Amino acid sequence: MGLDRRAFIKFIVGGAAGTLFTPIPWKLADDSSIWSQNWSWIPRLKSGAVTADATYSKLCSAGCAVKVKKVGGLAFGVKGNADNALSQGGVCPLCANGAQMLRSPARVAGPLKKDGSAFKAISWDEAEALLADKLKGLKGQSGKVAAISGDGSGTANEVLSGFLAGLGSSAYYYMPSDQTTMAKAWNGIMGGSGQIGYDLEGADLVLCIGADIMDAFGPTVRNQKAIAAKRPIEGDKTVTLLYAGPVRTRTAAVADTWVPVSPDGGAAFALGLANLLIKSGKGASLGGFGEFAELAAKFGPDAVEKAAGVKTEALMTVAKALLMAKNPVVVVGSGSGQGGGVALAAAGVALNALLGSLTVLPEFPKAVSHAPDRSGLLAKDVVAWLADVDAGKAPTPEVLFVYEANPAYALPQAAAMAKTLDKAGLLVSFSTYMDETAALADLILPAPHPFERLDDAQSPYGLGKATYLLATAVAAPEKDCKSTPDFILGLAGKLGVDLGFGAFEDVLKAKVQAIGADWDALAAGGAFVSDRKGSAQADLGASALAKAAAAPKAQGTLLAALDHLNIGTGALATPPHALLTVRDTELYGKDLFVQMCAATAKSLGVSEGAKVKLTAGGSEITARVALNEGVMTGVVAAPLGLGRTAWDPFTKGKGDNVSKILAVSAEPGTGYSVWAGSAVSVAKM
Amino acid sequence: MEEKKGTKCCGGFLAFVLGFLLSVVAGWVLFPGMLYSELDQPIPFSHKIHVEDQGLTCDSCHFFREDGSYQGLPTNEQCSGCHSEVVGQTQAEAKYVQEYVQKNKEVPWLNYQYQPDNVLFSHKAHEPFECTECHPDVAKADKAPKYYENKLSGYSKQTMKMWQCERCHAENGVSNACHVCHK
Repeated sequence: MGLDRRAFIKFIVGGAAGTLFTPIPWKLADDSSIWSQNWSWIPRLKSGAVTADATYSKLCSAGCAVKVKKVGGLAFGVKGNADNALSQGGVCPLCANGAQMLRSPARVAGPLKKDGSAFKAISWDEAEALLADKLKGLKGQSGKVAAISGDGSGTANEVLSGFLAGLGSSAYYYMPSDQTTMAKAWNGIMGGSGQIGYDLEGADLVLCIGADIMDAFGPTVRNQKAIAAKRPIEGDKTVTLLYAGPVRTRTAAVADTWVPVSPDGGAAFALGLANLLIKSGKGASLGGFGEFAELAAKFGPDAVEKAAGVKTEALMTVAKALLMAKNPVVVVGSGSGQGGGVALAAAGVALNALLGSLTVLPEFPKAVSHAPDRSGLLAKDVVAWLADVDAGKAPTPEVLFVYEANPAYALPQAAAMAKTLDKAGLLVSFSTYMDETAALADLILPAPHPFERLDDAQSPYGLGKATYLLATAVAAPEKDCKSTPDFILGLAGKLGVDLGFGAFEDVLKAKVQAIGADWDALAAGGAFVSDRKGSAQADLGASALAKAAAAPKAQGTLLAALDHLNIGTGALATPPHALLTVRDTELYGKDLFVQMCAATAKSLGVSEGAKVKLTAGGSEITARVALNEGVMTGVVAAPLGLGRTAWDPFTKGKGDNVSKILAVSAEPGTGYSVWAGSAVSVAKM
Repeated sequence: MEEKKGTKCCGGFLAFVLGFLLSVVAGWVLFPGMLYSELDQPIPFSHKIHVEDQGLTCDSCHFFREDGSYQGLPTNEQCSGCHSEVVGQTQAEAKYVQEYVQKNKEVPWLNYQYQPDNVLFSHKAHEPFECTECHPDVAKADKAPKYYENKLSGYSKQTMKMWQCERCHAENGVSNACHVCHK
């Protein structure tokens, strides 16, 4: 019996048939299906103990007390810290996405040096040596080393500004905000000390003039909690909320009354109220009251209507409500959280002084003794400085540090500001993310994500009491980052600048000790709250206020830029999850939407959905029109935070950057850069 | 012609049977050995020493956390409670301390019954059962069992399959609806 072809085929067929009676086909089919679960792109869950570690998240401007949820030590989520008086369990849309932002594709993986049009990776030692070499020759040369900080509350500023002072430079600036405007008014024009606060918890009436306290002004979560506590779903409402501004913002939407006030009319409206209060017998113990009363008298109801577009009846109703309330508080600011005039800030202080509600928080003692005073630095004008640099009136910095800020994107007239920043000899960005300024920089020295580092916050602007909070590293570093103040301390050591500390942890420990707080309690997520009051001695600054208030009113269509936390901040682009919360009337596809009422649209000859070009400040943006009767006639409202040119695929190229068309002017009397309510030209495309 | 046909028929049938038998034998005897790799744990571990000599119980190392989740294989956090330094005489312990504890690196223990992420298995829900109803009884073993890794799927041979879960659920009157295990 030979094995011929026919027998061989039968052998194979027999083998195949036999296979069916073995585990081979069934096991292989089963295992193949399981194998398909192992593809490399399928995410793997981390298993381990589920924990929640408390820290202070500084992803939003004011920060939120949070608990970072982790599994097996890996951060996966964020919730509000219910044990912290500031957040009381709440969390803002940015901090809520903090865990996802740990792994953002926009994160800078390690130190980078510009090499032609691209970046090349370098080591931290190389970066330190490069900077030390550059700075060595600049020591003692005023204005040759400068810094811009976007962190309004951290002690890291003491390290950076102290370092600059040690190098002989005073060119330390903060990014513009309602806090810097108020510092210019209170600490600058009015000569006060400490920081203006707002006791929302103790108020029975809160009047917001421009300040969108529920969305953009100060610690929004605390603001929401303070108002919500007195407006329960069931039971009596014990606080009245009034909003005065050009747009029915998210604060106006929940307020008892919305009083439309033109974008540049806030100061006139506030002075009109002050006039009525003074006429009703209210007075203030601050200096220059007589002069102030004379100024306020010029803002009768007719003048207010002309300057702010507020009807007499509405003005009288608000004044009456303020007089009737036992503890009224007036909060002033701009809808965009920046660019409001010093006049409005000073008028806000005056109103609170007249109402007996002026709250001043004392400054906490400094840890770095060489560092300049915080209030003095906050009062400086970064926009005016950059304009001077551009015009050759101020020295062009050879080294410009940018910390926790994105000025190339977020400053007014952003395109022009970016060009000026690019003039710096060496632009150094400490950004965690590849933002627009980092993309422009010569050197990127990435700071750790807020969950990966030690940091602090002293009295975030908007609080009613002096408060200190500590942020601890609750997540393992995902990238090769270095704490910026630690890097600066190392650099200072190399250059022989003695800041008194070798590590940032020691700086913070000294700070905590100086203010009398307990480190462990703060590290566990607690807040140190002081009942001490700052001095309310100051001058009402009527002479500067008079010149500012007498400024000619802007003509034509006015721009009301709006800051929405869910869209992001200048320093943080919209987190991918938050992108889903951006309304179709703000961004649809890749089109930015600007909002205006039907009457404004008619006067401009545009209709719903029309494509328009907005021009101001030497720049232009394109957008589509969304009709919204919550915008005053003659006003175009536009959201900030879109139109990114760097960052990640989720945000890049979506919408346009409204900051480009925020036209800057110098406020008469104070010389301060203002852009809230600037005129804009709208043309149909 | 007749004889030739008969021979062909018989030879063909034998070839079929031979092929059939060979494949059956190969499928049942050789295939399982070829499908799995035989692996050892990265550190030889003696349950016997820990249980009999040191008096530990199962839940000394395999315990429920406060939130009810289960600490399956212990991590350095638990082990270094005793082994922050070398306390015994064995090479295995010295290797563990030097290569893992001192380098703050977790031991990549081979998990005999790892379930994929699409399965939610709660030890808490199965707490009334004895551990050894599902896991091998290793309390008296001086060596960790061999780990047989499926070369195709990457899972352990001992991994419990869905039919086993379903059978036990059915026998105990527990729902076999999808959402019970797949969230």
